Amino acid sequence: MNSIGALNSESRAPGKRRGPLAGIRVADFCWMGVGSMATRFLADFGAEVIKIENRLRLDTPRRLPIYKGVVRAYGHEDANPDPNKGGLHNNYSRNKLGITVNMKTAKGREIIDRLIGASSIVTENFAPGVMERWGLTYDKLQALSPNVIFARMSGFGHSGPYEEYRSYGPVVQAACGMSFISGLPGREPSGWGLSYMDNQAAYTNSSALLMAIYQRNRTGKGTEIDVSAVEAGIHMMGPVMLDVSVNGRVTRGDQYPTGNRLEHPHAAPHGVYPSKGEDRWVAIAVFDDAEWKALAGAMGNPAWAADTKFATQDARFANQDALDAHISDWTRGQDCHDVMHALQMLGVPAGAVQNAQDLNEVDPQIAHRGLFFEMDHPVIGEARFEGEAMKFSRTGPDNWRSAPLLGEDNRYVYRDILGYTDAEIDTLEAEGVI
Amino acid sequence: MSNPFERPYADLKVIELAGDPAGEMTGYLLSQMGAEVIKVEPPEGSPTRAIGPWLHGETGPDSSLTYWYYNSNKRSAVLDYRSAAGLKTLEALLADADIFICTLQPKALKAAGIDHAALSARFPDLIIVSVTAFGLTGPWADYKSSELVALAAGGPLHMCGYDDHAIPPILPGGNQASHIAASFAHKALLVALIDRQMTGKGQLVDVAMHEACAVTVELANPYWFYPKAIVQRQTCRHAQPVRTQPALFESADGKYLYFVLVVAEAKPWANLVAWMESHGMAADLTDEAFKDFAYRQANYAHVQEMVECFFLVNDAETMFHEGQARELPIAIINAPEELFTDRHNIERKFFVDVAHEGVGTFPYPGAPYSFSAFSPVARRRAPKLGEHTDEVLGALAAQAVAAK
Repeated sequence: MNSIGALNSESRAPGKRRGPLAGIRVADFCWMGVGSMATRFLADFGAEVIKIENRLRLDTPRRLPIYKGVVRAYGHEDANPDPNKGGLHNNYSRNKLGITVNMKTAKGREIIDRLIGASSIVTENFAPGVMERWGLTYDKLQALSPNVIFARMSGFGHSGPYEEYRSYGPVVQAACGMSFISGLPGREPSGWGLSYMDNQAAYTNSSALLMAIYQRNRTGKGTEIDVSAVEAGIHMMGPVMLDVSVNGRVTRGDQYPTGNRLEHPHAAPHGVYPSKGEDRWVAIAVFDDAEWKALAGAMGNPAWAADTKFATQDARFANQDALDAHISDWTRGQDCHDVMHALQMLGVPAGAVQNAQDLNEVDPQIAHRGLFFEMDHPVIGEARFEGEAMKFSRTGPDNWRSAPLLGEDNRYVYRDILGYTDAEIDTLEAEGVI
Repeated sequence: MSNPFERPYADLKVIELAGDPAGEMTGYLLSQMGAEVIKVEPPEGSPTRAIGPWLHGETGPDSSLTYWYYNSNKRSAVLDYRSAAGLKTLEALLADADIFICTLQPKALKAAGIDHAALSARFPDLIIVSVTAFGLTGPWADYKSSELVALAAGGPLHMCGYDDHAIPPILPGGNQASHIAASFAHKALLVALIDRQMTGKGQLVDVAMHEACAVTVELANPYWFYPKAIVQRQTCRHAQPVRTQPALFESADGKYLYFVLVVAEAKPWANLVAWMESHGMAADLTDEAFKDFAYRQANYAHVQEMVECFFLVNDAETMFHEGQARELPIAIINAPEELFTDRHNIERKFFVDVAHEGVGTFPYPGAPYSFSAFSPVARRRAPKLGEHTDEVLGALAAQAVAAK
């Protein structure tokens, strides 16, 4: 890897992109984690994604204090953060171009009209109403760029009584049922320790965009896309939704959800067991007699395992409290990875509860498949990135540059794509338009 | 004859050999937008037919609601791909297919005599989408997995659970590891489809649930990449490198709401105080002293207690809508049954009715996205085991005769 401490403008200059989406230009208003992740996928596979930013209102991933050498909760931002130092922004906006514009100015809106005219996709995830306030309706976009694809994503979608409600990941997870179905019975939900639905809504939006590109290649016609994160979430709630709609199941009460135990199928043992070290755990999931026999063998066939109350899958399922106590006695004191491998060798599904350090430094599978990769960044320096979790025999992602500095590609976009002169760009800068 | 341009996948033929929700959801995302998906099942049926919940609690291959959920709009053909004759039929089906979804891990592929590289060479325009637990290569390629194991080894589980770390990490519900894998498989196959539009060539796409989970941990990886911090799980809120305040508030009707009490920013603070004041419950929070952030911070415990009381005497619906009206991001922790009667979901017509002849008509969730230029196929019930075997194999036989 090439380690350049300072801005090396030559190696960061935009060039010809590779990949199935090369040649597609995206005027990208997306921001926050969910929006940035959605369009990152297009950038990874060759699209020219131009991230449109406002110097006066920095994108949150630029602000969050995820910095080398400093450990802080994400809410503890600096009052005036260095916009180019944020690790989250680097992770989410690699392979994109970055421009700045002030949409409150008439000139700024005129520039953006030109950019849209030179693009075939427009993306956004603002609070509903923002694009309309700038006059950027689908009709207007189509006039600027015939057969344009206009992808909109929001928490509750672009219609309905909650259209304008505020949301971010955890609010979506609450509203769509995803938090409720996660936790121990008879107490508050444990829900999600991450904005899971930011990831999933972003994936949904990426798929929708690709589907629209695929369809436009077939028919020549663009489309408007509406992704409601709450609906994407309900779609991912799985079979419990049918248990309610078909069987009239009522889940609210002290019997549901069931923590680490499954209602279906009757797996047992099925849990997360303590292992050696502070807060280290191993998951074990036994679905049939063969797996149970193998597990018992791994434990040295202790006398308790021969008890009739553990003799069948249904018996083990009915006696999980006692079973889990025994399994915990066996796992406690062992390394979670050792347990995982010993059981997997015998055909028992087991997995160490891995943290990010494990994923990055311990996991040989992830290392073998090269999931993470490194690129340099002029301010941050060398950094790691989450790669695309997919392998192709004939194509692949085109990782050409870390995330743009604030306004890094103004000259390239405004001069080389849109045809403004250097003198005009100087004026736009001086007037605070860009 | 339907218009092949009507929906994106309208002229795609998909053969699905999937025995788990990850592969089946991938196939469903295709059938939802118009693809013809033929689900190849062994004589005993897909393993998902043996997983509840069950129609009225009664087990049977055609009454698994898990199977129902993931297999709408598909056809089912029984075909024992593990026998030589079955494998030959499968290959005949692949001859004019566009996409082959397969969830078999390397050892199982070998045992069945299915060789993806050979299939790719034989059918150069075929897109093979392999969706497996750990991928087709690497030291763990044949390790077994499950929802719990996948979320554990993949990273998300470490972030989920309670403040009390004597309690192990807790499995988030709803088959999410499978849904994560399916999301990646769908994105990947779309990349391959677009590539094929330009080159005319198919390819092998290899998606691992494990890797897909490992990049679906939001802040955990960046916190490791940059400050080398490991986030710690907390009750129903973001795992963070340091402890943060609780975000669940209980309402008078015994429900929970998710609400992050932000004292650092002036505007949400003012909105919150005005809201509490409108119920006559702001008490001393309206004092001048509380206009100062440092004072609010120093008296956080008191503020938290006041807000807890405010929630405890009001019902969840009121708090949700009033809070949102004051521009505060807040939501009820909804139970599944409440989603069907929610007026927003009703007004957006999100749920769609699916008829099961002889059983009833039931609302199912609709598609996860909507498009102005096209719409999903009407959701149809999942097929009974082997419901379309004769039709599918008959068409194949007719083709063979015509070719002679």
